[in-house]
Amino acid sequence: MTHRYIKIGLTSAVLVLAFTGLLWSTLREGTEYFKYVDEVLPQRQSWEGKPLQLKGYVVPGSRLRKPDTLEWRFKVQNNPARSAESGGVVDVSYTGIVPDTFKDEAEVVLRGQLGPDGFHVVKDGVVAKCPSKYEAAAAASKS
Amino acid sequence: MASLGTFLLLAAFVACSYAAVISVAGARRGSRRLIESGIGAFYLVCALMTVASAVIVNAFLTGDYSIKYVHNYSDSVQPLFYKITSYWGGLDGSIMFWVFLLSVFGSIAVYVNRERHRELIPYVVAVISTVQMFFLYLMVVHKNPFTTFLTEVPADGRGLNPLLQNYWMVIHPPSLYTGFVGMTIPYAFGMAALITGHLDDSWLRAVRRWTMFSWIFLSFGLTLGMIWAYEELGWGGFWGWDPVENAGLLPWFTATAFLHSVIVQERRSMLRIWNVTLVIVTFFLTIFGTFMTRSGVVQSVHAFGSDVVLARLFTGFMIVILTFSFGLVIHRLPLLRARNEFDSWLSREAAFLVNNWILLFSALFVLFATMFPTLSEAVTGNRLTVGPPFFNKWMAPIGLFLLFLTGFGPLLAWRKSTLSNLRDQFLWPTLAALVTGGVLVALGVRVWSSGLCFAMSAFVTGTITQEFWRGANVRRGVTGTDVFTALVGLVGRNKRRYGGYIVHLGIMLMFLGFAGSGFKQEQQVQLKVGQETTLGHYTIRNDGVKVSDDGQKQMVTGYISVFRDGKRIDTMYPAKWFFRKHEAEPTTEVAIRRSFAEDLYIVLAFQPSDLSTQSASLQINVNPLVDWVWFGFAIMALGTGIALLPERTYAFALAKLPEAAGAAATASTTVGLLLALWLCATPLLAAQHEAGTGVMLKPINPLEATMRDEMACTCGSCEHEALSKCPCSAADQMRGELRTQVELGKTREEIISHFIALFGGQQFLRSPIDKGFNRLAWLFPYLVGTIGLVVVGVTARRWSRHQDGSDPAPAEPPDREIEERLDDELRNLD
Repeated sequence: MTHRYIKIGLTSAVLVLAFTGLLWSTLREGTEYFKYVDEVLPQRQSWEGKPLQLKGYVVPGSRLRKPDTLEWRFKVQNNPARSAESGGVVDVSYTGIVPDTFKDEAEVVLRGQLGPDGFHVVKDGVVAKCPSKYEAAAAASKS
Repeated sequence: MASLGTFLLLAAFVACSYAAVISVAGARRGSRRLIESGIGAFYLVCALMTVASAVIVNAFLTGDYSIKYVHNYSDSVQPLFYKITSYWGGLDGSIMFWVFLLSVFGSIAVYVNRERHRELIPYVVAVISTVQMFFLYLMVVHKNPFTTFLTEVPADGRGLNPLLQNYWMVIHPPSLYTGFVGMTIPYAFGMAALITGHLDDSWLRAVRRWTMFSWIFLSFGLTLGMIWAYEELGWGGFWGWDPVENAGLLPWFTATAFLHSVIVQERRSMLRIWNVTLVIVTFFLTIFGTFMTRSGVVQSVHAFGSDVVLARLFTGFMIVILTFSFGLVIHRLPLLRARNEFDSWLSREAAFLVNNWILLFSALFVLFATMFPTLSEAVTGNRLTVGPPFFNKWMAPIGLFLLFLTGFGPLLAWRKSTLSNLRDQFLWPTLAALVTGGVLVALGVRVWSSGLCFAMSAFVTGTITQEFWRGANVRRGVTGTDVFTALVGLVGRNKRRYGGYIVHLGIMLMFLGFAGSGFKQEQQVQLKVGQETTLGHYTIRNDGVKVSDDGQKQMVTGYISVFRDGKRIDTMYPAKWFFRKHEAEPTTEVAIRRSFAEDLYIVLAFQPSDLSTQSASLQINVNPLVDWVWFGFAIMALGTGIALLPERTYAFALAKLPEAAGAAATASTTVGLLLALWLCATPLLAAQHEAGTGVMLKPINPLEATMRDEMACTCGSCEHEALSKCPCSAADQMRGELRTQVELGKTREEIISHFIALFGGQQFLRSPIDKGFNRLAWLFPYLVGTIGLVVVGVTARRWSRHQDGSDPAPAEPPDREIEERLDDELRNLD
């Protein structure tokens, strides 16, 4: 019996180790930091180049699109547009289709990387929640 | 009305408490009267919840906006249909709907099993009542859907979220809830078995159907969610590993595992602890999924808002469930010990076990990855998120391995597979996989996961075909019927096994759809009027963007011409709809051009500035094989339906028929299946259709004339033409045979039976003999035409009704040994 338990124990140990290793290595590639604008700005340098999900609010009137293209420039700030202070502001560039809910003041989560000239959003990386009064706010956009 | 509703909820709560307490008391004292009283109270809860549901639906219909819930989720301009479905549109109502369903299912389960599983029933009542009490408590103290405005009453409601005003979304939540709620029944029976110590397999028999039933609804709900995401959300895919989707998937994994491992317990009395655990975990995950999506613990784009009170209540409830359930399991460990041990890893039960591990691992992995942001924040302070690529990286190999097991498991023998039967079993499926793989490599398919998936699919198909083929052959040998009757009989004798194979077939088709996404092409473009772009072999031209209004909404529609090989093949109309009062959240109306090979999928992304220039921002996808996912689900539902049908449905094909008496039944099945074959094989059969002599001899007497009208050509391609008209060579031969018979002076009946003997069926008759069993033959074409679950059920019931009383006595099996082998092969796992 003990022999059998040793076998089972060893097998499970190997399996668990293998899975943890795999999980660990894939997690390192697959994860993104989820940060508010103000969490990133103080040590801006150290966040540059890291995969980020940046959460903020679209600065009203900052959204610009090159006519008849899908190239966007806009700014996001840390706090909701109507709060007393805006908090930190980051310039954002993006090429692609934006969700319908991407408006002034919208709460957005942007996937991409921070560079010296601002935040670059990856393809389909704009997820916007409209300032909804509805509890059951359904999906605005999906990545 | 609102106060009536609140009162009903309170009354239901009281009745629940009573039912729980009195049932336990009754069971402990052994008092039949107390138990009966508990069951009565239990039914009462169902009645109360039905009335409460009626009250809230009535409030929606009459527009009683003094009730906050009604105000929040409907308005006066909403179509009637959506007013009713607003019932489960929000959090409060969905909880109430949950309790309502649970009370209905619970009552049915108790009613059906109250005699057969008498010892378990009081505890089943108690467990379900306790679960109901929790949800009722939740409603009464925290989320009462009948809460009213205290001061001013608004004149109109806010309206249901337009995204939810979609027919898929109307049936998606109830279906998912049905699956979720249904899982409570197996849990209650499992708990009752643990409490009473009646841990033989009887509780499993009571819950098997329930699990299957819940499972198929869960699958249906998940599939509907996918369809909805694909058609309504407009991001080009159907599964985004969103927490809400994952919440539905978690119990699906464990329920699937349970459906498999239960077979091992029935067959080999093993895995008993494991099965109880799976039932508990499945139930727990349904509650956990609800908690995850309703309390704001996990961030999701379409989760309900965050709610701390709800989170606390749920956490408490979940702790209670876990402690109570696993406490009982530990308490009963001595009774749960397995009676057998594994003989070999190359055995069916080992394959089942591995399948279980993988499924459980999938559940754990998805749970872990879904909770990862929350966990990482709690542990490190940094919120780390994982996206769909991470899920896909893990789930694609896991899925492929499961697919492999789908083909691999059924080929193994119970206990131990010997080398020779491995070779015997694996030859054809492996060959199928290798050939497919070779062809794919030759064709230059370079997406490894998809290629592997296609090869695996071939393997699974090979396995399933081989199982059906061999089973039918063995059965035909023993019963002496034709191959089709044998096939139906085979399925009837082993509904769950062969229904299960059909489910596997459906799963395999779904995987084809998943694999197709490996070849997905997409493009995001901005097209001016008249401008073109090319994707795959399609060329897409923007013909302009127009605005229209139908009173309920404004519609911005793109007019898109689609060309293929320079030829215009279609015009597509992707649109954005702006519903009144929901202008900020336009809905996406995706334009999809479907085909079995691939979908062309166009989304219009509207920007106000585009309107003046009529240029369109488009997301264009070519999604290969997507429709096979939905088609695969239909097959899955069919398989589950077969497994769920009652035994007697198949009675007609189950009996071993003595030759003479069997002829009629054989013939009817044959006619039906021939019709089915004819439907799909007409082009093939056309080859056999040769022009005959064209000479038609005059009938020598009236009998021959009428017989020629009654009989039809059997060549299969001249549409069952009457012998008096059909010019083909097969008809010539039949006419010749008929002439011979008539000249011998035989009567009509004698001639017919002669032809039946000749053809092995009555397919030569233009209309089946209109008596007894043969009337059923009429049903067959309809069955073939509508492969709906319901139709199968109803028709099959009709069959069995005819069969009652006229069942021929089974003949003595011709060979003891074959019979045993057959029994071993066909041992009914039900």
